[in-house]
Amino acid sequence: MKPQAPKRQPYGTLELGLLNVQDLHVAYGKVEVLHGVSLEVAEGEIVALLGSNGAGKTTTLRTLSGLVRLRQGRIVLGGEDITRLPAHKVVASGLGHVPEGRRIFGPLSVEENLRLGGYLLRHDLAEVEKRVHASYALFPRLAERRHQLAGTLSGGEQQMLAIARALMLEPRLLVLDEPSMGLAPKLVFAIFAIIQQIRAKGTSVLLVEQNARQALRIADRAYVLESGRIALSGPASALAADPRVRAAYLGG
Amino acid sequence: MQAFFQFTVEGLTIGGFYALVALGYTMVYGIIRLINFAHGDVFMVGAFIGWTVLVTLAGTHLPIVLALFVALATSLFFSGALGVVIDRVAYQPLLAAPRLSILITALGVSLALENGVLLIYGPGFLTYPHLLGTAGFTIGGVQISYAQTTMFVISLALMFALYLFVHRTFIGTAMRALAVDQDAARLMGIDVERIIQITFFVGSFLAAAAGMMEGLYYTQINFYMGFLLGLRAFTAAVLGGIGNIPGAMAGGLLIGLLESYGAGYISSRWTDVFVFLVLIGVLVVKPTGLFGERVVERM
Amino acid sequence: MARTDPALRAATARMLIVAVAAGAVVLPLVASDYVIDVAISIVTFGILGLGLNIVVGYAGLLDLGYAAFFAIGAYSTALLETLLHFSFWETLPPSLAFAAVSGVIIGYPTLRLRSDYLAIVTLGFGEIVRIIANNLDITGGPNGIYGINPPVLFGFEISSPATIYGLAWVFLLIVLLFTRRLSASRLGRAWISIREDETAAEAIGVPTLRVKLLAYVMGALVGGFGGSLFAARFGAIDPTGFTYLQSITFLIVVVLGGMGSMPGVLLGAVIVGGLPEALRFLALWREFGFAIGLIVLMLVRPQGLWPARIARRVPLPEDDAGDLRFAGAEAKRGETLLEVKDLGRDFGGVRAVRGVSFTVHRGEILSIIGPNGAGKTTVFNCLTGVIRPSRGEILFRGQRLGHWAPHRVVALGLSRTFQGIRLFPNMTAHQNVLVGMDPHHRVSLVGEILGLPSARRDTREHLGTCRRLLQFVGLEEAAGRRAGDLPYGDQRRLEIARALGAKPELLLLDEPAAGMNPTEKTALMGLIRGIRDLGVTVVLIEHDMMLVMGVSDRVLVMDHGTLIAAGEPAAIQRNERVIDAYLGNDTEADETAGAEEAALWDS
Repeated sequence: MKPQAPKRQPYGTLELGLLNVQDLHVAYGKVEVLHGVSLEVAEGEIVALLGSNGAGKTTTLRTLSGLVRLRQGRIVLGGEDITRLPAHKVVASGLGHVPEGRRIFGPLSVEENLRLGGYLLRHDLAEVEKRVHASYALFPRLAERRHQLAGTLSGGEQQMLAIARALMLEPRLLVLDEPSMGLAPKLVFAIFAIIQQIRAKGTSVLLVEQNARQALRIADRAYVLESGRIALSGPASALAADPRVRAAYLGG
Repeated sequence: MQAFFQFTVEGLTIGGFYALVALGYTMVYGIIRLINFAHGDVFMVGAFIGWTVLVTLAGTHLPIVLALFVALATSLFFSGALGVVIDRVAYQPLLAAPRLSILITALGVSLALENGVLLIYGPGFLTYPHLLGTAGFTIGGVQISYAQTTMFVISLALMFALYLFVHRTFIGTAMRALAVDQDAARLMGIDVERIIQITFFVGSFLAAAAGMMEGLYYTQINFYMGFLLGLRAFTAAVLGGIGNIPGAMAGGLLIGLLESYGAGYISSRWTDVFVFLVLIGVLVVKPTGLFGERVVERM
Repeated sequence: MARTDPALRAATARMLIVAVAAGAVVLPLVASDYVIDVAISIVTFGILGLGLNIVVGYAGLLDLGYAAFFAIGAYSTALLETLLHFSFWETLPPSLAFAAVSGVIIGYPTLRLRSDYLAIVTLGFGEIVRIIANNLDITGGPNGIYGINPPVLFGFEISSPATIYGLAWVFLLIVLLFTRRLSASRLGRAWISIREDETAAEAIGVPTLRVKLLAYVMGALVGGFGGSLFAARFGAIDPTGFTYLQSITFLIVVVLGGMGSMPGVLLGAVIVGGLPEALRFLALWREFGFAIGLIVLMLVRPQGLWPARIARRVPLPEDDAGDLRFAGAEAKRGETLLEVKDLGRDFGGVRAVRGVSFTVHRGEILSIIGPNGAGKTTVFNCLTGVIRPSRGEILFRGQRLGHWAPHRVVALGLSRTFQGIRLFPNMTAHQNVLVGMDPHHRVSLVGEILGLPSARRDTREHLGTCRRLLQFVGLEEAAGRRAGDLPYGDQRRLEIARALGAKPELLLLDEPAAGMNPTEKTALMGLIRGIRDLGVTVVLIEHDMMLVMGVSDRVLVMDHGTLIAAGEPAAIQRNERVIDAYLGNDTEADETAGAEEAALWDS
């Protein structure tokens, strides 16, 4: 599958991406972990965020979705400033976040997990049901297990559920944190295929991945995060060919 | 044997009150890991609001059933609102602070409610209108009053309603999700602070229902009643596995029975010792309570 | 206040102590009996607050029934005096013994409980003790015991307010000294470590159950001591003095003042003992006003009025005797140290580790690599006893592990660091290392509390080793800094020093390079080799290929819960399966993309 050329939409005289992050500084206590991260995701793009463990990838995503307070910086999503919005309002403005480790609600059933994904639509129950069924169409496996407790699912099924849950609100930007973690190679490919499908339906994707080769294969552009700073950025193909990236993340 | 059944009837009646109050402890604990020491006092406040309305309406010509309904509605609504206010003023600002500081404000709220009621209503016992009477029926020599039956049925109905609320509504599902993983719940668009407030409202609402029923059943209330009952309801919540809603219901009924048997077969002076020893025994054997807790321990 | 010069602060503290002491001495000469009485109450609150502070402030355990120990001390003294005609002084040892035993009785069943359950169990214990006192004839039932003779010292009766006031101060000073020495001892550090992170404490060798039990016992001792004083003061006691409300009041003293802070607890005692008296003008509104005041104070200062400060003074001696090297390690080089057979672990529906077997030889550096979620950390957690394996066998130095408590695994010589750093953030760097070393510390607790010369000598040696460990990882300069404030790279190295403190034969490092910059990574490679040269075998989980290939003698590769390859670094780099699994394979992806994924999910 060939990457589509990113479509860009003009906002006034400026050309702005869907997501625009400027100079993000984040600290835990006295220890600053992000030292001015800037990045951008255009409409219809898949953007990969690479880096070693501890570089600050997860913190970046958690800051975008409002789970972590930032010290300084600006986050704009589709022209709306979401910098200081609490997490539940960021979701409402169109950012879906599939967290690291999936974080499904284990003691709740698969269907309850999906419905919660549509929590903001709770006043339109018919719409929620419609979207739950759309999820089942996309992931037939979940339909079979709809009444099972989510905690009893296999790792791959849990990841599916986490993605389906985040798609319930039809976000403009889907943020995925290590979706391939702990999965068998074949499932990893399947997950990446699904990410491409998601983009094909019009949702932009920001992807944190440790599996750099796979991520660069489906991404349009990528950033490399090192010790809380963006060290490299560019088109995915260029980064995949970059000797520095190859040495550090692609095994030479 | 007849005595045993008599104790059982009495135990289930008071156990219903314990269960209703225990639900408030367990729901709040499940969500924000706080032992809400003021909860027993909300139960007491509920009883006092109900008393005030009933006594005020006694002068009018309102039919008794209607007066009861008005009193119940007022008491439940205002007690629920009180729960929300307590959460907003004393707990929300401290959710990120050390766990013990929020416990101390809970104790502070408890003291403030008790002493506030003491200031308004005085230290003595107040008498609830005798509306229930002592009429009843007898099965195999065991006397069961209509009052006991009504109380027990109302308790069960409220618990069933809560069960439906928690399992069949969006808000209820959100509550359970919140108890598992707050951050993941936020990512679903759930306004966590608001759900916490709703939890306080529902818990306080149920406690006030128990408070009014206790007033109607025993016909005497006083500012200190919430402390003793709260202690036993809290014990019930832990016995059932704190954070676990069906556990709190079962735990409440169980504590009611234990208390009744303890008072009947041993001595009412030793009831609390008996109840606490059973609790400690259960926790030593099964540290998460009889029915386990709904807490996912993360590494 | 926070930024002032330490010398100036010490001078201010000394002046404050002198002022308080002077005030305390002058008070009985000038004040009325009423004021002295209030002062005695404050001193009593101080004693009980310091005792409860051991349990709540240091060890972080909730106790809502502390009045029980107070009651046991008071009733012991009262009964021994009235029934067996002991003198007050003779009642003290048995009364302390009873309190300590009751500390064991309350502590033992609660040890395995989660902290919140402690609330109800301790509360229940407090109520049980009060009800027993209220119901038994021997304790005088609701009327209690009266006619307790006042203490007599050299023929002089201690019964006037001023003399009791003096006695109370002597008691307080003893308790102050006792708790101060305790907090600086090995046990005190262990308490704070379990308060900070119980799992981490256990995993680096702190026997957490015993340490918690000792917290209850020490707290009970002080509570009983205060109870004896109470009996002597009033000459009569009854159950209403030992209610749940009383326990709550003691807790308020501690939390309001500042948990773990001695001056804070004393300030809390002044407020709790004095404020209600000062509020007398409120008449009926007094209790209400106190409750509101309590809420407001906690909202304004959630850490307490005088929060505990981290001791910045680092008493590390400069002498250079001793060596970190392990004797005899060289001779056993190449022997089998650890053998893992068919290890498996499930989490709900997820099979995290499925049948992993490998061997570790003495003196080698072994790396385990694999994608995130491959099950590497789960293997570490099984090895160290943090979680139990679902299947399989672990043999370390010929011993079967797998169901051992983590601290016993550490004692056998297997120590570790954590993937997400788990230092004790509110302790200094050197205290972190000391906690790791303490299980091997020879000195006796009694010796430490009494300050015996032999104990001082041992402690000095202990501190010397601590300094050498910090020096070894390059953190000597940071010894006095709060661990949570150190940069990530330093925190990683501090965790290594803490783990080395346990004198391990095998050290497990979980992603030591995570969050480090390239310079730090290069230094880390040197450090890992240095650890091996000390005679310690090293197994590490790591993603950084430069580091793994640079330091390892052998590499194991895990994927999806299984071991897919093992061998020397060069061979691993060429292994096709490893490249496929770990780095992702382009060709297969192109074939599977799109068409097959629905079928895959259903497989």
